[in-house]
Amino acid sequence: MAVSTSPPHPFVELIVSTCPEVRDRSLFVLCQDLADDAILAGCEALEGFWQDTPNLYERVRALTFLSALHRYVLPARGLTERFGRIPAEAHGALMRRRFREAIRAFREAEGDARRNDTLASGLSRSYARQGLQYLADQVRQSVRSVPGNQWMFRMGHADDYPLRLRPELRPADGAETPVLRESTAVRMDLSHSSWSDIFFLAMDRPEFARVLNVSINLALHGSGERPKPPVEAYFRLIDRPVIRLVSVDLGAETEVRSLGQLFDFGADYLGLLKAAVIASGLVPPGLEGAPIGLEQVLERFLGPGWGFELISNVNNIPKGSRLAVSTNLLASLIAVCMRVSGQAPLLEGPLDEPSRRLVAARAILGEWLGGSGGGWQDSGGVWPGIKLIEGCTAQEGDPEWGVSRGRLLPRHTVLDRSDVPATARQALEKSLVLVHGGMAQNVGPILEMVTEKYLLRAEAEWQARRASLAATSDILEALRAGDIRRLGALTTAHFFGPLQTIIPWANNAFTARLVESVREALGEAFWGFWMLGGMSGGGMGFIVEPSAREQSKDIIARLLLQTKERYQESLPFAMDPVIYDFSINENGSTADWVSSGGLPSAYYRLRLPGIVRKPAAQMRRDEADDLRAIARRFGQQALPQAADLSILTALLPEGDAGSKDDGGSVSLARLLEENGFDPAQHETIRGRLRAGKIGLAQNRLPPTTLIEDVSDADLRPPMSEAAAKRLGEAALAEGSVGVVTLAAGAGSRWTQGAGVVKALHPFAEFAGRHRNFLEVHLGKSRRRARAAGVRIPHFITVSHLTGEPIRRWLDRGDVIADESVCPVISRGCSIGLRFVPTERDLRFAWEEMPQEELDEQAQKMRASGRRALLEWARAAGEASDYRDNLPGQCLHPVGHWYEVPNMLLNGTLHRILQEQPSLRTLLIHNIDTLGADVDPVFLGYHLGGGSAATFEVISRRVEDHGGGLARVDGRVRLVEGLALPTEADEFKLRFYNTLSTWLDIDAYLDSLGLGRGSLGDEGAVRTAVREAAARMPTYLTIKDVKKRWGRGQEDVFPVMQFERLWGDISALPDFPVRFLQVSRWRGQQLKDPAQLDSWLRDGSHAYVESLADFA
Amino acid sequence: MKIRTAVLTAAKRGHTHLPLQTMIDREGYPQTALALQLRELIDAGIERVGIVVAPGQAPIFREAVSGLGARIDFIEQPEARGFGDAVRRARDFVNGEAFLLAVGDHLFISTNPDKNCARQLLERAAASETAMAAVQATHESEIGLYGTIGGVLEDRERGLFRVRHMVEKPTPTQAEVELLVPGLRSGHYLCFFGLHVLPARIFDLLDAADDGNGPVGLTPALERLAQEETFHAFEIEGRRYNLEARHGLLLAQLALALNSRHREEILEHLVRLLAKA
Repeated sequence: MAVSTSPPHPFVELIVSTCPEVRDRSLFVLCQDLADDAILAGCEALEGFWQDTPNLYERVRALTFLSALHRYVLPARGLTERFGRIPAEAHGALMRRRFREAIRAFREAEGDARRNDTLASGLSRSYARQGLQYLADQVRQSVRSVPGNQWMFRMGHADDYPLRLRPELRPADGAETPVLRESTAVRMDLSHSSWSDIFFLAMDRPEFARVLNVSINLALHGSGERPKPPVEAYFRLIDRPVIRLVSVDLGAETEVRSLGQLFDFGADYLGLLKAAVIASGLVPPGLEGAPIGLEQVLERFLGPGWGFELISNVNNIPKGSRLAVSTNLLASLIAVCMRVSGQAPLLEGPLDEPSRRLVAARAILGEWLGGSGGGWQDSGGVWPGIKLIEGCTAQEGDPEWGVSRGRLLPRHTVLDRSDVPATARQALEKSLVLVHGGMAQNVGPILEMVTEKYLLRAEAEWQARRASLAATSDILEALRAGDIRRLGALTTAHFFGPLQTIIPWANNAFTARLVESVREALGEAFWGFWMLGGMSGGGMGFIVEPSAREQSKDIIARLLLQTKERYQESLPFAMDPVIYDFSINENGSTADWVSSGGLPSAYYRLRLPGIVRKPAAQMRRDEADDLRAIARRFGQQALPQAADLSILTALLPEGDAGSKDDGGSVSLARLLEENGFDPAQHETIRGRLRAGKIGLAQNRLPPTTLIEDVSDADLRPPMSEAAAKRLGEAALAEGSVGVVTLAAGAGSRWTQGAGVVKALHPFAEFAGRHRNFLEVHLGKSRRRARAAGVRIPHFITVSHLTGEPIRRWLDRGDVIADESVCPVISRGCSIGLRFVPTERDLRFAWEEMPQEELDEQAQKMRASGRRALLEWARAAGEASDYRDNLPGQCLHPVGHWYEVPNMLLNGTLHRILQEQPSLRTLLIHNIDTLGADVDPVFLGYHLGGGSAATFEVISRRVEDHGGGLARVDGRVRLVEGLALPTEADEFKLRFYNTLSTWLDIDAYLDSLGLGRGSLGDEGAVRTAVREAAARMPTYLTIKDVKKRWGRGQEDVFPVMQFERLWGDISALPDFPVRFLQVSRWRGQQLKDPAQLDSWLRDGSHAYVESLADFA
Repeated sequence: MKIRTAVLTAAKRGHTHLPLQTMIDREGYPQTALALQLRELIDAGIERVGIVVAPGQAPIFREAVSGLGARIDFIEQPEARGFGDAVRRARDFVNGEAFLLAVGDHLFISTNPDKNCARQLLERAAASETAMAAVQATHESEIGLYGTIGGVLEDRERGLFRVRHMVEKPTPTQAEVELLVPGLRSGHYLCFFGLHVLPARIFDLLDAADDGNGPVGLTPALERLAQEETFHAFEIEGRRYNLEARHGLLLAQLALALNSRHREEILEHLVRLLAKA
């Protein structure tokens, strides 16, 4: 039988070719030479290929190709003009991370999935997720397979437990219990690796993975302290069979008494310490779920009746420093645990090389257990000094052999003084100013973008990656030569060149402005900028002329603060910026014995109140040791130091310490009063909430409601496009149109509840610089107004949270104000106070509402965190006022239905109508609908249709959740997702609501029983709005809000609020409405920063830029 | 290579009672543990045994081993300076010959009906004419009690390994990195059995390993030996029982009885015990 020898499709050839020129070609370049049919055939070829190939990385690349083809190539070629419904089965599979099932379900849906925009969007997402899942699974598998880690997964019973405590840790008769301390450096990445330290990249292309990594000691500049290893871990034996975990810097402690408690990572702030205990093998991961007691394990390890205490301490380094603090803290904890159990042979001093490698492998394991993940260079602080870290090709015998080209763990080459002389090291120390910009950002989406781009080999980005690799060599050479000025020039060029070519989002407005101002202020003394970690805004470095370094620190500190103040309402900052003093750590992770009383002061502060309340007879050995230590510390000093005195302060009742003030509650009361808080309505809602009459479950329409999809006729435009355009242009020229941008909300999803003003977030570059949402919207109005030769009033509706910042931004003059566009602020007149959620509603949100499952460990973390949040809700009081946060975070806007009524209540519309009586129509749109624009065609359709309001809808894609356009009991209307009777109803609907609305002002006023003439009658307006509000449904929703504490720490709390929503006016009986289908570019909303990259690449950014006039 | 001399170490302080414990041998007669150990050696063809003991212990032990039919000398270890130091006290006794080293706190029970454990080792060492350690595949939960070797199968001969590396009482972490041996069950490593055939050169290596401080271990000297000449590990058909372990003596006695002609009787007792428990 003849075997087919036809060559593979060029897409497959791109993956399997052994020739680098072919393999590294861009998929997009290849597509340019292929006809539509060939591309569709290529999709089929890839489909078969990924399912058949045994090679993991080929499979992942094929999946990434398929995802990109369905996301970018097929739509751009107009092959996906059709649209339809999301198959419920496919969506369910996606939510449950059953990506193969989702792919099959999308492909088996009615019609050709590759020619249907809705289905293609679902396929694209499913392919991408499946690819990433394969990669995550492979890393997990490799972590488990690293020699030295495998035994921990085999262990299922205490009888198999093999570790014994080293005898040096036991107390001699009558002596205090010895304490072993591990001190570990953090790491900075001198080269930045173009993110090549992502495991996936390093394992696929080890020769590309190369970083110059430096272990450093730190001190906060101005603290008077000398730089020292920033993270510490302490271990000591205690005389009860528990594991006592203490995080000194987080002020958290617990006694773990069961295996279940130990494996419950999200229950408290001690997840990192728990992960360390497990990843170090003291309680091996194989024991999770074992039917034995923790006491049995401890007995095998320590002997009957003994337990241990593990303490972590971070010396004044805030979270998000991009210095891999948490990875190195985890490594430090693991190292001390491995030393005391004999797994690392050296009990004191630096670790030996095999132990360092094991600690690094265990830290990767610990991060996976804790549901997080870093790069493979992150535990660099375990190694001493300056080292080159490189990916390694897998060899026969490696667990990775035959699976990936590279090993999981890289090779560390410590550069000794013959390689990088002492003079070069000193020169680096004398020139570098390390800072933390204060921003807190989630770097996860960036890493996914990098991985996707790497696999696609997009041309410009691939060239940038090669340039980046060369830059690492150049930086190394400059360092070897001690030429720090050149090094600065190289890191600057690297950041503004290759790094931003690969990921534009590595930069942001804060960093761009900061660098510009520092460069200007320092003049010749500015030698360079350097970004640490995955994105800028957190840890960063400035390289300056050595003699100007100390002076530069003060200048940079001032500029940091100024720049932060400029952006603090628009970008998420977790804290004020800080400057570090640093030195190179030449030891790596090191252990020593702590003398009596040598634990951090903050530890004793945490412990003392509990100890002194105990009768002496009940005091444990470690507690007595601590008390003696404290007594000695005081006894040794003529004048106790502040840190020691603070130990005593901890004994005072809370409130006596003089640190608490009631400024927060005063300001909350004032805000409530000023912003139209209605206490009677608040109490009514609380009562109904507690009685179970309202809540998430009650948001839904009755189950008997008939939900159907609309027909195409329901969206048919009332006239031809040409006629509409003529009509619209004429109306524009009359000055009859205004724009309303809804900017009262905080954009919870945009910053995960950080409480900054989304409207002011300078999220992307337009016309050469970062611009915010509002600037883009005003730019579009300006263009239309100039073209029509009229003035377009542009209303911006604001709330307590967004009003002042937006006003200040407008006053600052960043945006050009001219005759064409007239920004008008409409102040919020209604506000709500958030509630602590009820357990019933939390359970409904988490158990009944659709949500995406997370990867295995992350899902466990989520479940564990949710248990803790349920506890919090019960303890704080269900449906009680949420006041335990900054005032702005306790309040909420009460839904966008109120925004137009607010324009009546605050007199804004009345005033503008008097100034511009020709104004008849408003285009109302959400802050994140960037394509919304006063397009004469749609204006013409609206005017020609004769309706009071015309709503714009788009065909659905998989990412569009939350209701849509439906026929509800026979009436075509918009319906919110939370109001649909069942989750499955949404899958019937082909159209998604953009919220963009053309509103006839007079018809709207009429529906309220008002007219232009009565707008000046405040009482009549108020009554009309109240009555209208009463006709609107009230929804209870749960939103995430962040609470910041400590040094850059953030907790996210789910809180309840009520909302009335604009789309519901489409259901009013005497209010005629129409619906129009618009393009995705016009109607899509930018909800999540993770959307940014595809938004930039699919033409959306260019489209928006073309609509606006920024000059 | 004919081995006629053996060294038995029984100098561990605080454990002198163990070799004198009375046990019931395979024939059903009471014997001291030490006598059983010596019988193993003598039955394997050993003609001279030097027993290393703590100072002052020789008279007590001598009484326990009388009438065994071999020349038995007692050698005192003046200070408790480790297992390696105990071994090197026998330098003069060994007198420049290769010898069999047996640890005194173990009992060896062969599953080979024709050869006891010591004989299996002596014959294999004689055939290969190399230094050789008897080893037993041991679960990772117990390797912290033994010296453990890493190596490769020698010419694909079953049970014979060329030793590359050895570590005294490793953790599974270290064992997984350094001591994996092909052909063993998952989580098992080759640990010393308690019987070694060693050249007299080991005494020089033991002296070299003594830095004057602290205990002298045997394993570092063996590691050095393995670097300098071929050193084999041989997997014995049998099991070692560590008398020093918790329930060690009991388990050793049970194993002995279950390998004797009284097996059925013991089993019956055990079943009754189990039924009552």
